[in-house]
Amino acid sequence: MTTYIERVEKQKISDQRAAAIRLKNNRLGMNIFQVSWIMAFVALIVVNWQLRFNYSQWPPAGVPPFDLLLPSVATLALLFSSILVAQALKVLRSGFGAAFLVKWRLAIGLGALFMAIIVYEFLNVSAAAMATQYGNTFRLMTGFHFVHALAILAIMCRVYQGANLGKYSGDEHDSWAVEGAAKLWYFVTFAWMLFYVVLYWIR
Amino acid sequence: MATIAVPLGGGQSRQEIEAVRRPALSEYLRWSVDHKIIGVQYGVTSLLFFIIGGALAMGIRLELWTPELDFMVSGAAYNSLFTMHGTIMIFLFIIPMWAAYGNFVVPLQLGAKDMAFPWLNAFAFWLIPPAGVVMLLGYFVSPAEAGWTSYPPLSTLFSGDGQTLWALGAHLLGLSSILGSINFIVTILNMRPPEMTIWRMPLLCWAVLATSIIAVMATPFLAGALTLLLLDRMTGTTFFDASGGGDVLLWQNIFWFYSHPAVYIMVLPGMGVLSEVLSIHSRKPVFGYRMVGLSSMAIAIVGFTVWAHHMFTSLQPELRIPFMITTMIIAVPTGIKMFSWLGTIWGGKIRFTSAMLFALGFMSMFVIGGITGVMLAALPFDIHVHDTYFVVSHFHFVLFGGSVFAIYAALYHWFPKITGRMMDETLGRIHFVFTYLGFLITFFPMHIVGMLGMPRRVAVYDPAFTDFNRLISLAAFVLGFSTFIVLYNIARSYFHGPIAGANPWRALTLEWATTSPPPPTNFHDDPIPYEDPYGYGTKAATAYIEAIDMAFDRREAAPSGAD
Repeated sequence: MTTYIERVEKQKISDQRAAAIRLKNNRLGMNIFQVSWIMAFVALIVVNWQLRFNYSQWPPAGVPPFDLLLPSVATLALLFSSILVAQALKVLRSGFGAAFLVKWRLAIGLGALFMAIIVYEFLNVSAAAMATQYGNTFRLMTGFHFVHALAILAIMCRVYQGANLGKYSGDEHDSWAVEGAAKLWYFVTFAWMLFYVVLYWIR
Repeated sequence: MATIAVPLGGGQSRQEIEAVRRPALSEYLRWSVDHKIIGVQYGVTSLLFFIIGGALAMGIRLELWTPELDFMVSGAAYNSLFTMHGTIMIFLFIIPMWAAYGNFVVPLQLGAKDMAFPWLNAFAFWLIPPAGVVMLLGYFVSPAEAGWTSYPPLSTLFSGDGQTLWALGAHLLGLSSILGSINFIVTILNMRPPEMTIWRMPLLCWAVLATSIIAVMATPFLAGALTLLLLDRMTGTTFFDASGGGDVLLWQNIFWFYSHPAVYIMVLPGMGVLSEVLSIHSRKPVFGYRMVGLSSMAIAIVGFTVWAHHMFTSLQPELRIPFMITTMIIAVPTGIKMFSWLGTIWGGKIRFTSAMLFALGFMSMFVIGGITGVMLAALPFDIHVHDTYFVVSHFHFVLFGGSVFAIYAALYHWFPKITGRMMDETLGRIHFVFTYLGFLITFFPMHIVGMLGMPRRVAVYDPAFTDFNRLISLAAFVLGFSTFIVLYNIARSYFHGPIAGANPWRALTLEWATTSPPPPTNFHDDPIPYEDPYGYGTKAATAYIEAIDMAFDRREAAPSGAD
């Protein structure tokens, strides 16, 4: 017969094992999701690429190319936001502190700035561009990215809310929500870097 | 407890084993995170759609009974008929049906208590009924008429609002497929018992792994294509409209980049089932286990490089030869599998159970479908038979003769595990004969009419083909009838079939090392897999199987000798 203490100990070990497996599963699942869903963005890049061949030049004749300044600022904001998220995660791992909340809040703010600029760009595509696939694919790609950025920014806000209430300790087993949100935000950033290069730099 | 020669995941008392019952019917009708319940939910849902899709196929054959338009009111009505038939069979029957077997069997084969993400699993399933309803409703508003491939401009300029609903439904199904596949990959890679290395994994798990990798990498392309289609239909963009700088070939590229790999999504799990069934029912190890596992992966990878063979007649001519070559390369890993199956049954103690008969049926039909596939890969021949019944015949040989035969084999094989009751073998054999002959006589003559030049997707044809079409239609009705035999068999066996016991086929894989049906947690203790999932014919294997019998059924050791 096992004693009560032994049973409690055994239960503790099996709980720890279950938590470890859960974390391992979550991480692998997230990685697969990232690799998988980036293909949807790649599909839109293929769309952009194939439609270019219908024109003798890109942007098509008579269409002014997009202004580079604002989108580049937005891209930098997004990059910094991702770096802040990474730093915040590091802070969290070495013990939860106020620095985490500051960095996470700043990351959300920069993300919102990025999205505001993208909305502005989306609404201000010239009529000449909209008459061709240059403007069409631009709106398609930025719009598709925007939907994802919006959803994931909402998740980031939820995590901020939770963190504010002290829901997450530094232990990686009970802060998967933070890690998951961070990884989704990296995904948004990476997807945007692909789009940024394709939309603005490859002519 | 009796002495157990091999440690297993048993350890329950007699009372606990006897207390395991089938879940109540109401369990299947509501949200559940148990992979076994979800598996059955997938299976029954797909079976319902199979019946609907089959009824539509009967409508197609009824229309083609005469060369004139008679059964359908118009050509457009006929178009929507075969559109719904193809869509339902592919998106709502075959793909979810493999998710059904994958869900039920894979965690059991891995000795796991559930899938890696049980909630996500249930969510992925519950996307399917609404998606199916949306698609079916589309048929009643103003139906999609562009075929299951939905090429623009047919799908943008000519189809009704049903096409929009079609795209929405397909979007949901794609999402379901991605979520399900992420779950499968994580489960297979992370949830194996420590003794089971990846090279000791049952071949169904290998096949599901390869399938899931295809699904997660390719399905986002479908999402992209459907997004464009929805935008073109609803917001007036011109991605597929040449007058606005768009390109109709864009759809073909993106769609086939998903849909060609998707044909391997539909057949790879069937190949995994075949390796299981052939080995177990001929009591021999799988011939060339590693090569079979790796050929699944090879098919998955090469499958991504062949999509443009669907576009031979619309592609830039200089790209045709490379795609012809990659397409023919696919025949190599497929040939490895065929060779392995022959090697597996060669000299085996074959038991002609219904599952085995359907597996042998798969081999004979799939080899025909595979050979016509290589013929179609050959450019000059493809251009000759492009858009004729030869193509229809080819893909029915791989999708019905392949996937559906494997689905039937899997049904007869795993039904005892799912319900705890055996299926009726006599009815199973009758079902096999009707299906086999019905199928062969339906689809084989299509090769001939195709080469003679009968185009696909038209309700009106040259009266010279009438005799062929009558023969095909008659056989198709027999094939349709054969479905009712298996439905009756399922219903009857569910209630009155003989009790199966834990391991009716005397198999070595872990799903048989628990009660039938398994308890909610699958295994009592962590089960220890046998060292080789297909190591039949040794004393140790017999001892393992007898240990299962003793642990769960308290049967005396069978005097049949080595297994």
